Amino acid sequence: MLLSTTAIPPTEVSKPSTALHPKRRRLGRTLGPYLFLLPATLFLAVFLLYPICTMLLFSFEQVNIGTLLTGNIPFVGFDNYRTILSDATFRSSLGVSLLFTLACLVFQFCIGFLLALLFNRPLPLVGVMRGSVMIAWMLPIVVSGTIFKWMLQSDAGIINYALQSIGLIHSPIQWLSDPKVALWGVIIANIWIGIPFNMSLLLAGLQGISAALYEAAVVDGANGINRFFRITLPLMRSTSLTVLMLGFIYTLNVFDLIYVMTGGGPVNATEVMPLYAYRIAFGEFDLGSGSAVATLMFLLLLVVSALYLFLIRREEAS
Amino acid sequence: MASEQQSNIDTMTTLLQTGRMKRRTFLERTAALGISGSAAAAFLAACGGSAPATSTSNGPVTLKMWDYFNPAGSGYLGLLSEYSKANPSIKFQRTVIPFADLKQKLIQGVASKQLPDIVVIDNPDHSAFAALGVLADLTDRVKTWGKADEYFPGPWKSTVWKDKNYGIPNNSNCLALYYNKDLFQKAGLTPPTNWDDFHSTATKLSKNGTYGLSMSLVKSEEGTFQFLPFLWEAGADLDTIDSPAAVTALQYLVTLVKEKALSSEALNWTQQDAITQFIAGKAAMCINGPWNLTPTKTGAKFAWGIVPLPKGQQAASILGGENWAIPVTSPYVNEAWNFLRWTQETAQFKSYIIPDNRLPSNKTFAADPAFHQDPNIGVFADALQSAKPRAYGPNYPKISNAVQQAFQEAITGQMTAQAALTQAAQTIKPLMTS
Repeated sequence: MLLSTTAIPPTEVSKPSTALHPKRRRLGRTLGPYLFLLPATLFLAVFLLYPICTMLLFSFEQVNIGTLLTGNIPFVGFDNYRTILSDATFRSSLGVSLLFTLACLVFQFCIGFLLALLFNRPLPLVGVMRGSVMIAWMLPIVVSGTIFKWMLQSDAGIINYALQSIGLIHSPIQWLSDPKVALWGVIIANIWIGIPFNMSLLLAGLQGISAALYEAAVVDGANGINRFFRITLPLMRSTSLTVLMLGFIYTLNVFDLIYVMTGGGPVNATEVMPLYAYRIAFGEFDLGSGSAVATLMFLLLLVVSALYLFLIRREEAS
Repeated sequence: MASEQQSNIDTMTTLLQTGRMKRRTFLERTAALGISGSAAAAFLAACGGSAPATSTSNGPVTLKMWDYFNPAGSGYLGLLSEYSKANPSIKFQRTVIPFADLKQKLIQGVASKQLPDIVVIDNPDHSAFAALGVLADLTDRVKTWGKADEYFPGPWKSTVWKDKNYGIPNNSNCLALYYNKDLFQKAGLTPPTNWDDFHSTATKLSKNGTYGLSMSLVKSEEGTFQFLPFLWEAGADLDTIDSPAAVTALQYLVTLVKEKALSSEALNWTQQDAITQFIAGKAAMCINGPWNLTPTKTGAKFAWGIVPLPKGQQAASILGGENWAIPVTSPYVNEAWNFLRWTQETAQFKSYIIPDNRLPSNKTFAADPAFHQDPNIGVFADALQSAKPRAYGPNYPKISNAVQQAFQEAITGQMTAQAALTQAAQTIKPLMTS
């Protein structure tokens, strides 16, 4: 309301001149905002909309080198989807992806939350510690992946050595070479990488909670556990939702870490959907089916995003 | 003639409008039409990939070139500068693409119609790209050149698809067995020459945190590359991958892992990882290629040597290496071909292959004393004579994936060797094209 009243005066003050002027000015006012929007719109159209549309289109076409070269790309309807859905490896990669994503999210979030609570206290050297935790996030994934691959070696790796030294295990665990364990090896590495991201966002959320609330609670006689469950947790709900949502998108798309650590093996134990899509698109030259996998992942993320929006709306309404 | 010229222009206009020809190229070519209509017709035909192309102008030609030699040897780079010096009208514009990205880049190049004039391609991928129609057919040129017989059959076969030539070999490599002389001496053993000795040696040398053998059985082409020689040594091949002989080959490896003569980590080791284990003294033997001679020379703190891969039913080694090829879209097929032919002459062989520590694909060159001064290189040079290429046609990437799946399933104990190979055969058989 206030905005619209303050916006009117310029036209009233404007000097009377030719009939064209106010018209042009009105045109300018309607166009103006769109002109400001133009760079962002163009950016989105070129770098988001266009690739997404191409992906969608490809997923309904028989796209391979041969058809790309002749330019005669046949439309095949849902054939690509039928091909991948009937492929047992794809169904396994869907399961692997979901397990990988959920396991990573749970651990990253819980550990990140605990660290955030710790770093939210006025401890000595808290800044230094907060900074050093971020290193995991800053290292190139290829580097962290390679280091974890070494550490998780069954016979010479430091992790088995440590576990054996303290007597937790008696024979070495084949972290990355046993198909039943390999996914967990990769999950451990990804949890380590994801903790700082969760921690820093959650810490920002914690710092946004007014100290007065806690003071009042102390006056009312609430202990630490009560304060956490009655104040911290409810007030962190929307931050947590956002962190989990971003974490889900990020984790479902993890490619480089697994590519470096196991290449999707042994057998297909760690072949998540992005690796599967990469293999059939660029290893087996079937870009159509690769796009179909990407499209299904996109739909999955869309559903999760919709759920997030629904939950966050409800959160804001209450 | 006039109407033919008109129709040529029309064709080019269509190409231009549909974005399949660049403006500049179009202008160059229409100008050329003014000079010679037939030359331009040949040019257009070259775009279609059928008739040999001829150059339309004597002006400078820039040959765009892709390879993954990084860092490229001085000998290789010398080829380009020497050729430009001798042929001032030819310039090179070289783009280095990481090995893992080259295939992807070629696919993107096809999609965007932006392929180079010369590409250096990993030889197992050669027939796939040829079959997909990406590479120019050089059969007539190769015939006129007449030197096909001078090459080892393996490398040469990798450039051929359905009896047509789609390139020429650049350099070759193959696999042999690295062994730690100190450990062998201490145990009083000699390097194995057959499967039985290989197995007993590997078991005997596995102690104190050292494995008898290291190799790569990773889920990628590197794993297949290292597995196939075992299959061939047993007397099987991909079209008989469920035969008893093939089962013996896989079972041989399964036993090595089970007896802890080969670490199960081999399932995640690249060939680089395998040689690192060997150099660190963690493996007494290692299956690897000549590209790791220099790292071993500088890194190993023990005496070591190289012998051919131990014989099974028969001796075998696998061919790796690169080939030269010319993408079908290149307007400069002739210029590119002249350069490729030139790289195969003796002088170029001396200035490229030898200084860059590569192995030749040419029989006469392989006999050069340079490869026998160092007995280690000699083993590889000799093994080249019988090294087999992976020339299994356009479906090879899918076939290779099924092979990786099979050996990983058996080695991890998820399936028996027989079951894993039977399953693989079901995938592979329909993918094999003769």
